[in-house]
Amino acid sequence: MADRLSSGALSCSGLCRSGVRTKFGIPTDEEQATGLERRTLQALKQGKDPYSILKPKQYTGTKADPHIVPSIGNKRLVGCLCEEDNTAIVWFWLHEGEPQRCPECGSHYKLVHHELPH
Amino acid sequence: MAHQAHAYHMVDPSPWPLTGAVSALLMTSGLAIWMHFHSTTLMSLGLVLLLLTMYQWWRDIIREGTFQGHHTPPVQKGLRYGMILFITSEVFFFLGFFWAFYHSSLAPTPELGGCWPPTGITTLNPFEVPLLNTAVLLASGVTVTWAHHSIMEGQRKQALQSLALTILLGFYFTALQAMEYYEAPFTIADGVYGSTFFVATGFHGLHVIIGSTFLTVCLLRQMLHHFTSEHHFGFEAAAWYWHFVDVVWLFLYISIYWWGS
Repeated sequence: MADRLSSGALSCSGLCRSGVRTKFGIPTDEEQATGLERRTLQALKQGKDPYSILKPKQYTGTKADPHIVPSIGNKRLVGCLCEEDNTAIVWFWLHEGEPQRCPECGSHYKLVHHELPH
Repeated sequence: MAHQAHAYHMVDPSPWPLTGAVSALLMTSGLAIWMHFHSTTLMSLGLVLLLLTMYQWWRDIIREGTFQGHHTPPVQKGLRYGMILFITSEVFFFLGFFWAFYHSSLAPTPELGGCWPPTGITTLNPFEVPLLNTAVLLASGVTVTWAHHSIMEGQRKQALQSLALTILLGFYFTALQAMEYYEAPFTIADGVYGSTFFVATGFHGLHVIIGSTFLTVCLLRQMLHHFTSEHHFGFEAAAWYWHFVDVVWLFLYISIYWWGS
């Protein structure tokens, strides 16, 4: 433990590397997080959200600004709430390729490929 | 490679919920057997099974979170909600005993002498050991907060020292309270005063022991480098529980020890 403490103190006396270092014996997530937790934290740091943790971005749904639907496959189920407070959700499969429109309100949806970190 | 595309934890099948349920069955029926046939075997078996269940279930959670990385931010959020809801349920548990105390003490019946404390009861002086106990628990609230800040700032030695001090203060409270129980001039059988006093303070003492155990597990985990400066929810849960125990004591002290004397 003394070694860890001294090496931690030495390397922090000058510039700290980007990210955070163990300061006085307690590791950081950068050093110790593992598995899915590590992958989510690393992705969020790069501004990506492969595991859909954050609220999806808002789009207007027009032809020029379609709803972007990330997918790990070549199709994904979409549920369209055509208007706020609607209780009936319009479900349809969104396939890759040309943007599709909601059969009820006509909003545009486009499937975009999305890789999972591994 | 089939990886999940969500951040949640789909738990592997586990036998511990079943062993926990079986232990609950053995303890309850064991309690009935003890009362009617004077044998504690079944109840003891249930207790052992309960302890084994708790040890193994929580060990598995530590493995899943710390060693396998399943506790992503959304999963942690769920655990936070869970702990808050559990503590809330415990608040209601104690509320019941306070209700019982106030029901009997606000309108004392003729059998008690129409007064509170009831005739013949020598209450404990609230400014002796009970006041010391209050100081001990308040101090432990300070040390546990110190420990939290130490962890967040990456200070290993301070975290270990302040957490150990918190646990020692918890033991000191328990020892003082045990001595008070032994020396008290009244017992649980002394009317409604004895019942409300010992049931309320007794359950509180049990919660102090539970909280001290939780904190001790955190101390062991901190020694083994489980916590990071950002992710240490096990410790936060223990600290929340400890503050809850402290607040319950403050209400007990004000209501039963001070107003009720």
